[in-house]
Amino acid sequence: MVQLAVENVDRILEDNNGQKINVLEDINLHVGSGEFISIIGPSGCGKTTLLRLISGLDTPEKGEVSVDGNLIDQPDVSRGYVFQHGSLFPWETIKENISSGLKATNGHDYDKKLVDHYIDLMGLKGFENAYPHQVSGGMAQRAALARSIVLNPELLLLDEPMGALDAFTRADVQDVIQRVWKQTKTTMILVTHDIDEAIYLGTRIVVMTPRPGKIKEIVTNPLDFPRKRTSDEFLEFRREIQDKLNF
Amino acid sequence: MLESATAAHKAPAKLAKKSTSQTKYWKPYQTRWNLISLLTLVVAFLENLLVPAQELVNNVTYRWFLVAYFAYLAIVYIAGSVVHGKVRLYSGHFAQLNASIGLLLVVQDLLTEKYAVIQQPFFVSFAQILDQMKTDHALLLASTWSSLGLWLISFVIGTIIGIALGLFMGRYHQFNYWAFPYLKVIGIIPAAAWMPLTMVIFPTSYLAEIFLIAFSVWFPVAFMTIGGVQSISKDYFESAKTLGFSESQILRKVVIPGALPNIFIGIFTAMGLSFTMLVISEMIGAKVGLGWYINWAKGVGNYTQVYSAIVIMAILFSIIFSLLNKFQDYALRWREKTN
Repeated sequence: MVQLAVENVDRILEDNNGQKINVLEDINLHVGSGEFISIIGPSGCGKTTLLRLISGLDTPEKGEVSVDGNLIDQPDVSRGYVFQHGSLFPWETIKENISSGLKATNGHDYDKKLVDHYIDLMGLKGFENAYPHQVSGGMAQRAALARSIVLNPELLLLDEPMGALDAFTRADVQDVIQRVWKQTKTTMILVTHDIDEAIYLGTRIVVMTPRPGKIKEIVTNPLDFPRKRTSDEFLEFRREIQDKLNF
Repeated sequence: MLESATAAHKAPAKLAKKSTSQTKYWKPYQTRWNLISLLTLVVAFLENLLVPAQELVNNVTYRWFLVAYFAYLAIVYIAGSVVHGKVRLYSGHFAQLNASIGLLLVVQDLLTEKYAVIQQPFFVSFAQILDQMKTDHALLLASTWSSLGLWLISFVIGTIIGIALGLFMGRYHQFNYWAFPYLKVIGIIPAAAWMPLTMVIFPTSYLAEIFLIAFSVWFPVAFMTIGGVQSISKDYFESAKTLGFSESQILRKVVIPGALPNIFIGIFTAMGLSFTMLVISEMIGAKVGLGWYINWAKGVGNYTQVYSAIVIMAILFSIIFSLLNKFQDYALRWREKTN
């Protein structure tokens, strides 16, 4: 069953000299319900731009992005977006941040139990009243994840949410994301430049190449859950993806 | 239901552990300095009592002031020597400053009242000022209230107009296009330049004064607010959109808090200007207020009265300043402390 459809999409930008740059060229991607798509590629391959097009924060020059046949032209609560730096509102506490989306749509009658549930699930108990600058980077990203997932989106877009974290925290946040994905069955699309991360989380891996940004190949991940980062199968599949990325 | 995903990762928050009173009151506690500062006040009292004055001065109020000052310090120091923590840090930190104030009181008294080294009547002793304040307290109190009321209403009006304009100009390009050139040209005019016109245009001089003070406030506030809105990272606007915020919610929950640090810079700049404009406008048009009092005292040649009003202004404006500072600390409590 097709949920998200990206069809023949081009995204063209103009630089300061009026020169046209094809950020994305002829992108085709179909994502079914409950999938976890990892988009991987070197910087400048347009992977974040693709994610922004799917969220509706950006619009393509050519082609269409649609969910269940409905054209996407603006952001919507049904498509959550976790930014690279989390972008929690620094003027709100962790709890206020997590409930901000619920409050925006439901007013003050929002489901407070749901917020508490996610605070618990994300290991943020005891830090509800802390401000974002007072918690660690990993915590801030888990809070940002909670802020989006609490709205129960159909699609969750993750824009290198672990890019700025150290290796240990990164593995921790990856496990949190995987757990949430399994339990909520939310369709997720992750943009990353970390091969291990892409393989560890993704059911399919989209390999992109830069200038112009194109999809080189879409590979189905053969690994079963639970995945082990050091298993032979994992390392073998990692080599395969690595080869595809060396162009 | 779902178990905690990261129970093992409850790392302590990186809250600053050094207490704020420790960084605020950093001078080490030394009993020596506490005693010296008390001693300077004793010297000030004895000097005032024993050295004969050059002219007739009523020193009663001044001596009571010294006694009260001494009693206050003695209480703080005794508390500081017994209790540890904030009180002790506070009493130790300001001991040297208090000693210097005691010394200053001695010196000014000798220079003016006692030996008339500095020419009177333009320079008077602190004792004379205090005595004047006591004699004139009813009029001074009424003037202070009147000034405070005028300042408060004008400052609030100017700030609200400034913030509202700034938010709209910072947020909406169309509005900015049409309004900003006028803001730049009109706002840069010193409020005092409008004085002759406002005195004839407005039906009452009180309204004219409100206009002049508010005028000195709105421009710095509006200008800083625009910059504040424009400095907000676009990530916050984009997250707000993906979280389903409406435009009015974006304005209330992203634009205003995001611009708040800059709004406060504008407000503090405006505060200084508004005090200036308050005094000037009262000197010209009013029949009440501290500015009027100074002008009236100048007319009758009583410079002690001028000093009294100046001392009251110093106290009043300091209180306003520190209250506003406290309000800022509370409103921006989410910000990372830089010290």
